[in-house]
Amino acid sequence: MSKKKNPNAPLMVIMTILAAAIIGCLVGAMLFIPSSDDSKEEKAQGVVGRISDNWDDQVSEDPDASQESGTQIPGYSAASMKEGDTSLLLRVGNPKDNKVGLIATVRLEDGTELYKSPVLEPGQGLEEIPLEKTLKKGEYNAEVYYQCVLLNKEHTPLNAAISAFTLYVD
Amino acid sequence: MTTKKLLTLALSALMISATAVSVSAATLTDQNPGGQTEVTAHISGSDPHGTVSYKITIPDVVDFGELVQPAANEDSYKTVGYNVSLDEVTGLESGKQISVYVKDQNASIDDDQNFYITNKDNSNISFKYHVFNVPQSQLSEATSINSSTMTKTAGFYLGGFTAPDENVDGTLVINQVQLYGKTLADIAGDYSGYMVFYSAIEDINP
Repeated sequence: MSKKKNPNAPLMVIMTILAAAIIGCLVGAMLFIPSSDDSKEEKAQGVVGRISDNWDDQVSEDPDASQESGTQIPGYSAASMKEGDTSLLLRVGNPKDNKVGLIATVRLEDGTELYKSPVLEPGQGLEEIPLEKTLKKGEYNAEVYYQCVLLNKEHTPLNAAISAFTLYVD
Repeated sequence: MTTKKLLTLALSALMISATAVSVSAATLTDQNPGGQTEVTAHISGSDPHGTVSYKITIPDVVDFGELVQPAANEDSYKTVGYNVSLDEVTGLESGKQISVYVKDQNASIDDDQNFYITNKDNSNISFKYHVFNVPQSQLSEATSINSSTMTKTAGFYLGGFTAPDENVDGTLVINQVQLYGKTLADIAGDYSGYMVFYSAIEDINP
């Protein structure tokens, strides 16, 4: 008994391969493309120039901080970067227990401005800041100028604080 | 022939699909900040540079309240307390401290070093006040920190901290005799002044 060859067999094989390929592409795309909620999580972890909504100063928590009056200001010992870098790893932000906004300006002691943030609400901050200028090798006296402002429409200014640190450029 | 055409078509479709996946992946790499975030977190975790070393608390506002024009040309002091404290500190070397200085926002070494509150509607009207680094109960034995000359651009030395909860319990003092003899209609209004607190890690007893 001889088998009769189906003339549509090659077509069916090709259609099956195509269908498998298309399904594979769709599954792959779904795995790699982040959903909108995933994007929010990535933002919250802080990237150069992006302001996180859950900024962590990474200094141990003070349980009484939320009940104390006054405004907490972050301080630094040093920061470092390479010559020509256009960003700097520096945790600049507004501790979450504060009741006022902070505008952070990173600058050299001679007034050269490297970065200025918008109003940071409590809990907002950056882990890495974009620099307006690159720096040559050397050791610089730098500072973060924190201007306290009311969280009203006018952002009424309050007292200010300067946190000085040494900036090493290798 | 038909089979060959179909095979060619299928292979082309497969290649187009594969290319589309590569482009998507490249686009994702460019737009997705995840990679940079991980590197950032790794570097900051292994290198103390750029991290927060300490936190201080400053008064965001100091309010003298209602000032009263004295009836006679005599001293008439009004005081208000303030507090500056070290809340947290990590990795502070032995022999070092968090030094805190303070100055008026407009003060400079070469010019006027006084602290002022200024009329919000007329900046030509302002009154001096003094800053003490002791509480009101000890004012009689103290001199204001701004009675000396400011020698650093950072401001007048307020205090040094080495451990959490250390603080300066200070007082601001304004002598209302400055209002004496002035026409109330001219000086009435809201006043504000801004202090700038400067902190840095320095050797103890700079």
